[in-house]
Amino acid sequence: MIGLSHYLIFSTVLFGIGIFGMLSRRNAIAVLMSVELMLNAVNVNFVAINRFVTSGQAAGQLFSIFVIVVAAAEVSVGLALIISIYRHRKSVDLNNFDLLKW
Amino acid sequence: MEISLLGTEILLATLGFLALVTGLLPGRAKSITGSMSLAGLLLILVYTIAHFGEEASLFQGIYLVDNFAAYFKMLFLTATLLVSLGAGRYLERFENKKSEFYSLMVFATLGMVIMASAGDFITLYVGLELMTVSFYILTAFLLRDGLSTEAGLKYLVLGAASSAILLFGISLVMAYTGTTVIGATAARLMTEPAVVAGIVLLAAGFAFKISVIPFHMWTPDIYQGAPTPVTNYLSVASKAAAFAAMVRVFMVAVDAAPGLTLSWNLILAILAALTIIVGNLIALVQEDIKRLLAYSSIAQAGYILAGLAAANAYGLKGVLFYALLYVFCNTGAFIIATAVEVDSGSTAIEAFRGLSKRSPALAAIMTICLLSLAGIPPLAGFVGKFYLFAGAIQQGYLWLALIGLIMSMVSVYYYLNVSRVMYIEKAGKQEPVKGSGAFRLALWVCALAAIFLGCYPAPLSNLAQQAIQLFL
Amino acid sequence: MLTDYATIGVFFLLTVSFPIAAMALSWIFRPKPKAAPDDEKYTTYECGVDTRGKTWIRFRVNYFLFALVFLAFDVETVFLYPWAVKFQKLGFFAFAEMIVFIAILVVALWYAWKEGALEWH
Repeated sequence: MIGLSHYLIFSTVLFGIGIFGMLSRRNAIAVLMSVELMLNAVNVNFVAINRFVTSGQAAGQLFSIFVIVVAAAEVSVGLALIISIYRHRKSVDLNNFDLLKW
Repeated sequence: MEISLLGTEILLATLGFLALVTGLLPGRAKSITGSMSLAGLLLILVYTIAHFGEEASLFQGIYLVDNFAAYFKMLFLTATLLVSLGAGRYLERFENKKSEFYSLMVFATLGMVIMASAGDFITLYVGLELMTVSFYILTAFLLRDGLSTEAGLKYLVLGAASSAILLFGISLVMAYTGTTVIGATAARLMTEPAVVAGIVLLAAGFAFKISVIPFHMWTPDIYQGAPTPVTNYLSVASKAAAFAAMVRVFMVAVDAAPGLTLSWNLILAILAALTIIVGNLIALVQEDIKRLLAYSSIAQAGYILAGLAAANAYGLKGVLFYALLYVFCNTGAFIIATAVEVDSGSTAIEAFRGLSKRSPALAAIMTICLLSLAGIPPLAGFVGKFYLFAGAIQQGYLWLALIGLIMSMVSVYYYLNVSRVMYIEKAGKQEPVKGSGAFRLALWVCALAAIFLGCYPAPLSNLAQQAIQLFL
Repeated sequence: MLTDYATIGVFFLLTVSFPIAAMALSWIFRPKPKAAPDDEKYTTYECGVDTRGKTWIRFRVNYFLFALVFLAFDVETVFLYPWAVKFQKLGFFAFAEMIVFIAILVVALWYAWKEGALEWH
């Protein structure tokens, strides 16, 4: 039977891929996508918890709805910023964002 | 349910929208936004103080109204007011976007208020994100300035990643407890590898928000790139909000868990020691005032974390006391840094040369604020550090208190270095640094608070004592 | 345990065999040309206007901005679903709350409008 632990392992792997992508990709949009992957790993967790641990309550599903909405707001701000930066520098490569010491 | 229990939150949300809407008015009607926001914030602060002492648990425990939350609400509102007042002529750089600036400041405050009152992880998360998303925009507010937008994007990527880490921690804890209510978590926590991993991730997420070493990489960059008033607000208020949430989560859920054997105090104590040492050492070599204050704020977060690691009456009282005096002292220093930046166009420490001749009052207040941050008696910082380190010693972390003491002495060097530049080196210009009445008011409040709290700490100390009563 | 994976295996086989079957069938039934195809056969549209330029062109940034505004409003409406499902039980207070929520969205829309986010420059 596929149980909670399978989902937890799956989401941990997904989360790890997200972290790896965030650290290794140099394109600002790809980095944002990796962050989304991390948040979606969390969503998988919450929905699985809702099914296996707290059946009858909707706390897990509610949590994932909030995560989705907040992530959308975050990405909107992020993409708007990327557009604004692109207008000035004609690049979305993080290696070129070196005005500040990273 | 009485609607007045949520007065602070409702009023803040209304004020934020009003500021946004008045910004759309044509012509000169726009200019009322600033004074309206300040008046509104002052009113809300008075309202919050008047309602101190109310206790209630709303919506089945997901929203808590108690003294602890009320204390932090006062702190956030004070910080917002001082920062908005002190921004002064820097606001001219925002051109026709001033109303958005005020609106976002108010929304960020609302997020912090929700964080301090959250009795549930969902509420906590929503408050946290309301605060940080507002801060992403505020950090990138100077859209034409490459530094500012770059800082905004970096903050967004790292901030979103840290939120994801925090959430992953919450989900692991929730997988074992089956509840999102912080108060109900403690009874069901047990020593399982996944739970421990969850708590560690939770701590890492918070550590990122309060920029504890080794999660501090973002701080200097973002602090340098953001508009100076925003840096100021970021360093005092967002840190205090993260501490408020962290204290509640760790004291209510982790510390009180009977089935969990995890020496989280020790982990936090080690992190605090690392933060104090590294933050102070790197601050020694900074040449930019914003980066200097950024590293100093990392070190200050270490002191406050020491109080949480102690987790006893003295330590927690120290956390609350120090968080508030840090608002006054750091804001004072930042307001002067803002004025000097507007005057000279530079954020280098060099720009402070001869400030004592040009504006003696500013130089004196800057020195008072910095010495208070260093913890020199009879200023407020000394009393705050006394509580924090006394708590650490009581808990058996004598080494932590010693490290804090030694590094405080080291910090005097770089704080006094700024004073040296102001008092000894010669100025290029002679005319005084300009500032409005609001700017002076904010400065005097900061300076007087730093002195008053140092000489007569009893009232605030009692208030902090009442606020932490629910954790003891 | 094993039977669970067997279900996945069956689905996997089905998903692989469907496209293969579809392509194989069309290969069997289609008319087979006698001669080798000429250049006309290789153009994008055999009849109609010839295409010009590459497909990797740059789109106007306005599409992006519209998408952002749409994304923000679209995702907010997700809160309407749980509210609608429980509407009968929640009563008047929840109705008033949802009105406030929508009012907030309307203010945001008004702001976006006034700031020119909906204009096509």
